[in-house]
Amino acid sequence: MKSTMLDLVQNETIKLLRRRRFLVIVLILAVLIPIFTYAQYRQVQTAQERMGTSDWRALLTQQIVDTQNRLASSRLPEEWRQYLKIRIEQQQYYLDHDINPNAPGGPSFARGFMDQAIALFLPLMIVVLAVDLVSAEYSEGTIKLLLTRPVRRWKVLTSKLLTLILFISLTILVALIMAYLISGVIFGYGGWNLPVLTGFEIVGSELDTSRVFMIPQWQYLVMQYGLGWFVCLIVGAISLMVSVLVRSAAAGMGIMMAALISGSILTQMASSWEQAKYLFMVNMQLTDYLAGTLPPISGMTLPFSLTVLSVWGAAALIVAYTVFIRKDVTS
Amino acid sequence: MAEVVLSVTGLKKAIGRRPIIHDITFEVYSGEVFGFLGPNGAGKTTTIRMLVGLASVDGGEIKVGGISLQDRFPDAIRQIGCIVENPELYKFMTGRENLEHFARMSGDVSPERIQEVVDFVELTEAIDDKVKTYSLGMRQRLGIAQALLHRPRLLILDEPTNGLDPAGIRELRQFIRKLAEEEGLAVFISSHLLNEIEMMCDRVAIINKGRVISVGAVDALMEQFADRVEWTFSSADMERAVVLLRSLSYVSEVWTEAEKVKCRMDTDHISTANQALVQAGIRVEGIAAKTVTLEDLFLSLVGGGDGHEEHDA
Repeated sequence: MKSTMLDLVQNETIKLLRRRRFLVIVLILAVLIPIFTYAQYRQVQTAQERMGTSDWRALLTQQIVDTQNRLASSRLPEEWRQYLKIRIEQQQYYLDHDINPNAPGGPSFARGFMDQAIALFLPLMIVVLAVDLVSAEYSEGTIKLLLTRPVRRWKVLTSKLLTLILFISLTILVALIMAYLISGVIFGYGGWNLPVLTGFEIVGSELDTSRVFMIPQWQYLVMQYGLGWFVCLIVGAISLMVSVLVRSAAAGMGIMMAALISGSILTQMASSWEQAKYLFMVNMQLTDYLAGTLPPISGMTLPFSLTVLSVWGAAALIVAYTVFIRKDVTS
Repeated sequence: MAEVVLSVTGLKKAIGRRPIIHDITFEVYSGEVFGFLGPNGAGKTTTIRMLVGLASVDGGEIKVGGISLQDRFPDAIRQIGCIVENPELYKFMTGRENLEHFARMSGDVSPERIQEVVDFVELTEAIDDKVKTYSLGMRQRLGIAQALLHRPRLLILDEPTNGLDPAGIRELRQFIRKLAEEEGLAVFISSHLLNEIEMMCDRVAIINKGRVISVGAVDALMEQFADRVEWTFSSADMERAVVLLRSLSYVSEVWTEAEKVKCRMDTDHISTANQALVQAGIRVEGIAAKTVTLEDLFLSLVGGGDGHEEHDA
């Protein structure tokens, strides 16, 4: 009987859990999500105070009337007209279903959370999982026992990659569940069917709103967390490569943090440097494409970003496998 | 004749353009303890890393039980159990979890076999404790347990007595002899300590600067460098003394060096030889008996100061 990939993944899973990496991530989420929830709660309160009224129904009715007045104007461009009509539909839904758009429920909080966390917070969690997956075996010397078994090196690395994918998926799932459950304590647990606008298209540096439509929030969340999962897979692949190349966990962590943080700095200031769009770290804010926020650099679209990320991920894996299979183990 | 378990032919390795292992060839048989002796920096660890597939091979061939390690790595390595340098196991797991981890990688190791090996290395009490609580001796034994788990035919140990106290060394020595004699394992041990090899091994390969200098039975090597006697004669008698010593049956080799005549012979025969010389009218001015240890042999083979090079690890 030969050892199967399942045996190898079981080994890697035990080691990852025993190193308490996943526990650390769950604890970080368990501490930070209540803090984010409270911050959101304060924001909602401040917004209501500024409006001068806590009666959101009156406010919403006023907004709908305003928008209808603008639609009456004949000078309005056609695609803009289309967008405003859908906005009215959305606001009307809020009124009809007695939903305060400023005081969202758990699902809306989870949506906002992913918008904020996709580019930096969740990738950092993945780095915690992945950065010493290989390098710890080297620094602890156990690589010598791991690679003198009747298992080819590519299988050893594949078992680590599969385990990483498994725990990335779990991290995304746990983030969604915790964001929903914890924020629900304050905001309530309703809102899965809340209509959310999407379908924005980016043409050049302009936002095309002519094909905007509404989907229930749960569908939006599935897409959003799917994109978050994809971004985390790419960050995982790159971290795995760093883990193969760099012996020390601290150095690996530093490299990955620098790369991720430089991404959020570059998105702030790179709009005039067009080539920056080929860097993986400026392409991580994928949920912005769903929400209709203009990308940091013109020419970036959802397919473009997915392609750039895929290429980076594939290249990272090629480097990781090549080096791991070829490298002599020395102490 | 015992079976060849490990055969190494023309093994070569270069780091960059600098060759560090030149043409190493030897064979290890089942049921024997084979010593791999050399000073630090001689290429012992590099060779071992190639034997277990941790380092790539730049030339030559390694066969385990007739199977090429380079071509059929899983089938060849399956027959090897090894500890390269220190036995580094997962400290955050228990001894048993470590063994289960490696058992899953080897395939057909039953829980009963794990328990059997644990009892064999006498870790029964501590096996469910975390490895970080183990003493060095216990880690060494756990290391041996993981090496024996999958019933290998060849056990490779790199400097196994490093860091062990004298009692631990004695224990390990008996243990290794037992494995070879009772279980019929081939055991390959590297060391830079001569007495260790002398006490544990049946055969030895001596290597220095990446080359095998000598391979043979430990006894035969010792015999080759049998006890030596140095004679001092008056210069006029030198030639006659050499002729006479050569004619004696118990003297194996005679040569002159630094105004002295040296020969190999059993020290028990010194008085007889002396008598023969005196009877022939040769004035014997001095006799010195030198007992040769493997240490001397080793130093004479690899040349003096090389024993103090930096470690190659």
